[in-house]
Amino acid sequence: MHRSRQSASTRWAVVAVAVLAVGSTLLSACGSGGSSDDGTPAGAAPKSGGTLTFAVGSDVGCVDPQQVGSNDTVYSTRQIVDSLTDQDPTTGKIVPWLAQSWQISPDAKAFTFHLKPGVTFSDGTPLTAQVVKDNFEVIPKLGTLAQLGAGYLAGYAGSKAIDDRTIEVDFQQSNAQFLQATSTFSLGIVSAASVRKTPQARCRDGVIGSGPFVLSKYVPSQSISLKKRTGYTWGSSLFSKSGDAYLDALEFKVVPEAGVRTSSLQTGQVDAIGAVAQADESSLRASGVQLAARANPGVPFGLSFNNAKAPFSDPNVRKAIGLAINRQQIVDTVFPTGTKPATSVLARTTPGYVDLSSTLAFDKAKAGSLLDAAGWKLGADGIRQKNGTPLAVTITWFTNAATNQPALELIQQQLKAVGIKIDLKQLQIAQIAQVLTGGGFEVLWGNVTRADPDILRSQFSTKGLNAYKIPATGLDTVLVQQAAEPDATKRAALVAQAQRLIVNNAYVVPVVELETELGVGKNVHDLRFEASSRIQLHDTWKN
Amino acid sequence: MWRYVLRRLAQAVGVLWAAYTVTFLVLDFLPGDPVSAMAGAGMDSQGIDPAQIEKLRHQYGFDQPVLVQYFHYLTKALRGDFGTSVSTNRSVSSVLLDALPPTLALTGLGLTIGVLTGGLLAFAATYTNHRWLRQGLLSLPSLGVSVPGFWIGLMLVQLFSFRIRLFPAFGNDGLRGLILPAVTMAVLPGAMVAQILARSLLTALAEPYTQTAQAKGAGRLRVHLRHALRNALLPTLTIIGVLTGQLMANAVVIETVFSRNGLGRITAAAVNVQDIPVVQGVVVFGTFVFVTVNLVIDLVYPLLDPRIAVGSARRGPARPRGTPSDPTLGGGLATSTVVGSTAGSSR
Amino acid sequence: MTRPPAAGQSAAGQAATDPAATDPAVVASASVPATQVPTPALGSDDTAEPSAARDAQDGGARPPASRQRLHLPRLGRFFLHRPGLVLSVIVVVVVGLAAFWPALYTSRDPLQGIPSNRFAGPSGQHWFGTDELGRDLFARVVHGAALSLKATIIAVAVAFVVGGTLGLIAGFVGRWVEDVIMRVVDVMLSIPGLFMSLALVTAFGYGTVKVAVAVGIAQVASFARVMRSEVLKVRQATYVEASRSIGARWYSVLGRHVLPNALGPVLVLATLDFGVSVLAVSSLSFLGYGAAPPAPEWGTLISSGRNYLANAWWLTTLPGLTVVATVLSTNRIARALDGEWATQR
Repeated sequence: MHRSRQSASTRWAVVAVAVLAVGSTLLSACGSGGSSDDGTPAGAAPKSGGTLTFAVGSDVGCVDPQQVGSNDTVYSTRQIVDSLTDQDPTTGKIVPWLAQSWQISPDAKAFTFHLKPGVTFSDGTPLTAQVVKDNFEVIPKLGTLAQLGAGYLAGYAGSKAIDDRTIEVDFQQSNAQFLQATSTFSLGIVSAASVRKTPQARCRDGVIGSGPFVLSKYVPSQSISLKKRTGYTWGSSLFSKSGDAYLDALEFKVVPEAGVRTSSLQTGQVDAIGAVAQADESSLRASGVQLAARANPGVPFGLSFNNAKAPFSDPNVRKAIGLAINRQQIVDTVFPTGTKPATSVLARTTPGYVDLSSTLAFDKAKAGSLLDAAGWKLGADGIRQKNGTPLAVTITWFTNAATNQPALELIQQQLKAVGIKIDLKQLQIAQIAQVLTGGGFEVLWGNVTRADPDILRSQFSTKGLNAYKIPATGLDTVLVQQAAEPDATKRAALVAQAQRLIVNNAYVVPVVELETELGVGKNVHDLRFEASSRIQLHDTWKN
Repeated sequence: MWRYVLRRLAQAVGVLWAAYTVTFLVLDFLPGDPVSAMAGAGMDSQGIDPAQIEKLRHQYGFDQPVLVQYFHYLTKALRGDFGTSVSTNRSVSSVLLDALPPTLALTGLGLTIGVLTGGLLAFAATYTNHRWLRQGLLSLPSLGVSVPGFWIGLMLVQLFSFRIRLFPAFGNDGLRGLILPAVTMAVLPGAMVAQILARSLLTALAEPYTQTAQAKGAGRLRVHLRHALRNALLPTLTIIGVLTGQLMANAVVIETVFSRNGLGRITAAAVNVQDIPVVQGVVVFGTFVFVTVNLVIDLVYPLLDPRIAVGSARRGPARPRGTPSDPTLGGGLATSTVVGSTAGSSR
Repeated sequence: MTRPPAAGQSAAGQAATDPAATDPAVVASASVPATQVPTPALGSDDTAEPSAARDAQDGGARPPASRQRLHLPRLGRFFLHRPGLVLSVIVVVVVGLAAFWPALYTSRDPLQGIPSNRFAGPSGQHWFGTDELGRDLFARVVHGAALSLKATIIAVAVAFVVGGTLGLIAGFVGRWVEDVIMRVVDVMLSIPGLFMSLALVTAFGYGTVKVAVAVGIAQVASFARVMRSEVLKVRQATYVEASRSIGARWYSVLGRHVLPNALGPVLVLATLDFGVSVLAVSSLSFLGYGAAPPAPEWGTLISSGRNYLANAWWLTTLPGLTVVATVLSTNRIARALDGEWATQR
């Protein structure tokens, strides 16, 4: 469930700068193994050509960037589309991409974008204001998978194509995060023909974008192939190379086993891998591979309860589960070096984050007494029960990261120590929509990446999908207010209040922040993270 | 002869029809609601609400009487249309056809390697006079059939990809990427060919005429070689027949181990997300291949071994009783009769 | 062939050569594979030679099979000449004990580890090393035996009971009932076994028992065939005809003559099928359709070890060796049993 989003308001972005800077690093800066500061051997000039082979761990079963939020798939689909704006991963600043300039009304309700001239989609049709309008109108209707984009466009009132290259986007209330949202892949612009296709067809066949790469072949759960778009001249102002990308082609291969990915990188069968496992770090370093890590902003990995279902409707049970989890042990045992335990419902690299580690501390004794108070008494078999019902909980999880299973098995051990029996139910990442909308789960394991605290609204507002069946409370008001608040300081206060409400009520139990760690072969240069820890491959080259 | 061929064809078609019916029953009428599974597995934008389920029920015809549904799907299947994959929204037949070539390459090379090494092993084991060597060689096949295929694959990866770094650990990259999976695939047919061939060689070598030939001064190697070659063909054919199903099944596991594209990986993925049309397509396709291969082998058999008369019995050619003779293979005849006895009523 | 028929063939081959079985259909279908999945019985003995070879070497001078009861010195000699068989019996006993009394071998908790001890290689402390959470792999393999062997037993039982009953009915009742049953069996035989299991798993869902049943059902057909051919053979034997002619009731004929005589080969097949089922069950749990983690089913252990191939070889290698040892041993025993059956008749 790596979803992702990122966003920041105009002024908000300024605040974000400082925060983002903490966690943002260019991949090459983290690289080890004797590369110089920018990851390029001194004197080596970038060169064109070659195919980059990238091994990822999973496939969500859909190649439409507007619908997909799973990191492993975003790595490839991000390359197909351009966005109106781009976000500088070091400063958090929003910069021009397809839009060369923009204006925002003082109440942050109207956004006017001026599109670059001469941009075409890979089917030859031009980028016009009308196409952008069509995109924004269809995204909220794409359905379950496209929740990210739909969230960005919440309160969308309509767009006006002022002329061929000018578009005004209007919202019913202030939408402070929208400008940053336009820099995400979820609001990447697809051609008019793609807009007209059904969500299913877009998932299966991909979309026509204006990006530096074009989808050439998709084999579900096996591989995604892209080839270079020639004549590409409208790259983001962040790209260091103008014109076409360096690489001729990209091959994303699905290799579920971390060990196999590692060895394939070491043998040179692939050029880069996603989701490096802690166990493989030292051997990768030893073979000269660059390890690039970047903390993902957004909602950390954690347990999300179905709050309407007994026993999770009892806040004491939820809180006890939170207290019984030893986050530091999980981080040390399972996750890559540098990973931090969760200290709030937002990761520390998210703007507006507040440190709530005192509430999220490990306290077994207190967990026990809370459960006792709730009527769950320890049975003879070491499992608590109430009126003859054992305290057995099923955690549903997805096989999209190698860390999921060991982390959950450890949580299972830790919760057993306070008398809670955990069953683990494993599903494929392709089944996520079914689970979220079906609501049959008891507890879900997952995270959502997004560089804007508005993620709290999309995840925890009872007005949206409300997958976690949170009861309607004052939290809703706070979440709506922060989204509409153009003043950064005031918004931060609201965001802090929302975090406290969520953590204190334990609607979810945050456990560990996601640290994206990539392994990159020695011959690959300038493979960079974008602002939400996904990758941008336009400037990447091989020798 | 032609009457016989036609009858066998009709029988094969009958078995296929019945196999389709069996999978239809298993998948569509056992517990577990196919519609909710489909609604979830697919990319349906509305998620699962009752109206949506009803719509899907209607769309797939689940609201109709069982027989109506059955004939609806059967007529479509007859035209080669096995429906649409609910997880990828592509037609099942194109999903299967796309995945076929890499799997054919894998099983083809695996079978070849297996038959060659198995034959060599049997030859060496029966040729050598060294008691311990012979026993050692002869015990290899029983090891070969006791080892789980996925484990062999993992051991090979560990050794040849991780330690020695000779072959890639995954993928479909050309011949180099095919070697380890094919070797894994080869173990089972290799072991079986070795066993059967060794047995028939030892029998043949004990025959008086062999000893006569040797006594007359024919070189031992020559005699041995002649017997080996003569005895190798039929067991190999039999193995292919019996193993067709098993090789396809192994492909599921081996392609998973090596993250290779192909029919097997499609199958595993379809089971994972309960993609019922694809699972059904795979089962019917597998049966089709199995039945076809065995039909062809049965038709070819008499051409290769004149001792077997065609059409002498009403039941068609019997493969030589003694030949492959392995019990657990059910004797060579085995597979032919799978098809063969379908039509001929027993009394 | 001069060798004593083994396993399935004891059924198939003998039905074919039995003069009583003159019906061509009987001949034909009896010669169908006993098990669709190739089984190990093929193998050489631990004297490492197919019996044919032995016969050949002895010039066919094998001592005629004795119909006497086994007596101890003979039994002793029998085992003494077959060290591999002895070893196999030991392995099966050891594994069997692990399945029912894991505490005999280890007091460690298979589900509770010490995270700081993770990825320790095999040592005196941890015979099989530890896994990614510091759990003792030996304890996990021992406790996994319970899951894996019980699944296997369920699978064999399903195949034996359902297949045996179908075969019995077909053989004993005859007429159209036999036709119908055997046609269904033919169809089942032509669907590749694992595919059939996968289809069943898709329909049933995941879990140890469900996988076991799916594996069992896929093997029903071979049991039905062997049982039917045995029943037919016995039914047409003179003494059965005789007892019928003196007016014995059908159930007494069934209970006194047909069942006891037909059961033997089916039991042999069941033993053989045991190894096949261990492999099939572990394949399915390797693919992820077995018990949910962290249950230490053997196939699941190997599967989760795949993530650590690069840094912890023991996580895949040692559970795999356990599977191999178990299958090899049950196969060897099956072959010995089969030989006994063959020589006793």
